[in-house]
Amino acid sequence: MNAHNAYRQGFSFAAVLTALLVSMLVASTARAELLIRITEGADSAIPIAVVPFAESGAMPAGDKVSSIVQADLTMSGEFRPLEPTRMLSLPSQRSEVYFRDWRMLGQRYVLVGQLTRSGERIEARYELFDVNREERILGETAGASANNVRTLAHHISDRVYEAITGDPGVFSTKLAYVTLSRTGGETLYRLQVSDLDGKRARVRLESKEPILSPAWSPDGKQLAYVSFETGKPVVFTHELASGERKKVADFPGLNSAPAWSPDGKSLLLTLSKDGNAEIYRLEIASGNLTRLTNHWAIDTEGAWDHAGRGIFFTSDRSGGPQIYYMERLGAEPRRITFGSRYNARARPDAKGEYVYYVHQRNRAFHIARINLKNGEETVITRTESDESPSVSPNGRMLIYATQQNGTSVLTVVSANGGAAYSLPAADGDVREPAWGPIVR
Amino acid sequence: MKGHKREIISTEPASLKSPVVMSLALHLLIVGIALAGWSWTSPVSEPEPRQISARLVSPEPRPSPVVDDQDQRDRDQERRQQQERERQEEEAERRRQQEQARQEAERQAQAEAQARQRQQEEQQRQQAQAREREQQQAREQEAARQRAEAEAKERERQRAEQERRQQEEAQRKAEEEKRRQEERRKQEEAERKRQEEAARQEAERRRQEAERRLREQQLEALADESDRQREAEARRQQEAAAARAREAQMLSESERYQSLIRERLSQAWYPPSSATEDMTARIQITLLPTGELVNARLVSSSGNTAFDNSALGAVRSLSRYPVPSDRNTFERYFRQFTIEFNPQRLR
Repeated sequence: MNAHNAYRQGFSFAAVLTALLVSMLVASTARAELLIRITEGADSAIPIAVVPFAESGAMPAGDKVSSIVQADLTMSGEFRPLEPTRMLSLPSQRSEVYFRDWRMLGQRYVLVGQLTRSGERIEARYELFDVNREERILGETAGASANNVRTLAHHISDRVYEAITGDPGVFSTKLAYVTLSRTGGETLYRLQVSDLDGKRARVRLESKEPILSPAWSPDGKQLAYVSFETGKPVVFTHELASGERKKVADFPGLNSAPAWSPDGKSLLLTLSKDGNAEIYRLEIASGNLTRLTNHWAIDTEGAWDHAGRGIFFTSDRSGGPQIYYMERLGAEPRRITFGSRYNARARPDAKGEYVYYVHQRNRAFHIARINLKNGEETVITRTESDESPSVSPNGRMLIYATQQNGTSVLTVVSANGGAAYSLPAADGDVREPAWGPIVR
Repeated sequence: MKGHKREIISTEPASLKSPVVMSLALHLLIVGIALAGWSWTSPVSEPEPRQISARLVSPEPRPSPVVDDQDQRDRDQERRQQQERERQEEEAERRRQQEQARQEAERQAQAEAQARQRQQEEQQRQQAQAREREQQQAREQEAARQRAEAEAKERERQRAEQERRQQEEAQRKAEEEKRRQEERRKQEEAERKRQEEAARQEAERRRQEAERRLREQQLEALADESDRQREAEARRQQEAAAARAREAQMLSESERYQSLIRERLSQAWYPPSSATEDMTARIQITLLPTGELVNARLVSSSGNTAFDNSALGAVRSLSRYPVPSDRNTFERYFRQFTIEFNPQRLR
């Protein structure tokens, strides 16, 4: 009996313990709320409906504002605007937006707006809606002169882009590039500046001699470039508004690869005045020159890092061209590219995350980027004979020159290589693109 | 009998042989006289009882049957002895006759003395008888008185005795009654005790029975209990196994739907360009069993509005979440859960 009681007690104790454990287990599993981690986003671009803006008053001929916005967003590679013909309705204000319709169409955002002509100005009133959250995330007005609707459109694109992605838009930025046209037996080099979409291109310099390496000043008001107009490579600065040019580096030998410092007060230059191609810093105002590299091998194509403290440059001190990083001026350079025997023309992004460069692989030249944190190298272009990468100020896009049907063209890709958008080719070759800064 | 037969024999020869009878009678007479003489002489000093002396008054003494006491085994011898004796008896007769004459004289003297004595004695006796009668009367009166007394006493005694007996009887009866009552009481007591005993025994028996039954029940209960426990244990294990299986099934089902949801959300999520890999937004969502979204709440911000909005937009973009049809699995995992957005591979 006692034994039995003990057994029973023992048993009941065990049962209680078991029950306790089970309940604890159940409770812990019950407490542990399911957590689903999403670590990858959609491969495709964001669906957005840019509804043709309602218009009141005479609008200038040419592209509609909404069309330009749509093209801008498409070019970014991050958006996939809905064809207006598929839209169920064309609302121009909030009261006309039926989110269910847009959700049915799979749209994430809807941009509606109205354009009003008042005199020589066009006023735009536009609203951006998050279809799923059914919220207006942008509601603004903007205006421009009637012959600058593209400016207005790019501005709206920038605002939309920023509202959705959190990054500033770059659709109002300018591109500088060099075209090469051969008419008859003559070759003509033109330095041009255009909108990002290639529209409103204006020739800033025309020369029968090569023009190379245009570089934007941080304020977007000047360009620096190498011109062979004097028969030898000379670095000029060029005030775009006034067209005023200055010869800033005309040393014996090679004067090339200008790059503005973030503060706009100095230029990095590659000079061979001391017998070997080395990198110097030129203070524009004073003309003071400081040599930054000192090596028997070629050191060229210097570029400031995003903080303006160190420089990336190309050197063949290891036998072939590779990217080196001098974290501080005067510090020992550190090689950062090892993926192949040709890596050149480093272009760091504005966030200090990636460096883009020309990368040779299997006899082809691609644009690649390296993650500065983990050293991971990614080839981001599928084309061959790629050269002259230039990163958008927000780091999201990249423009580079490549060969297409025997001619050189410019291609814009998203920085991750997702989308490619070839600028409409001007006649002849287009080379040496330089992405202008965001001008506030 | 024997005496009677002998008497018959003796009478027959008397008729046949008269001399013999004569002799015999003579002899008998002599013997009788001798015997009477002897009997006179010997007990002189001893006073005779009155009745005997009164009988002796009769003239003819009766022959004594003592003769018959003689042995008759050898009659011849007896006869020879008889002859001798007859001769001797003749002698003796002659001497006896002399003796007798003398004795007659003596007897006469004695008789005379005796008569005188008897007269005196008679007188004395009569006087004594008178006295005796008086005394007898007095005695009788006394006796009557005493008898009356005694009778009275006796009556008294009898009465008393009667009373006593009655009392005794009453007492006896009372005692009897008492005894009976006592007996009855005892019987009742005994009966009671017996009944009590019986009841006690019955109770004891019942108690034992109950105890036995209880013990049996307990044993049965124990057996049942252990059976139940075994069954319960088996059932519990089965249930646990089933629960585990169900759990596993739910888990696998849950995982299946988790992966479906993950897939759908991945397709629906457009991480903004400003996203970085260290950004994490958590959104808690509540679903209906149909998979419809009831509520989505940002519980942990990434610090980047566009990122948070992209996550919220993704969460809200699914018109219907893929959820298990099994209600338990749904309730367990999908009624409310959290989705974490954390880009690991930015493009």
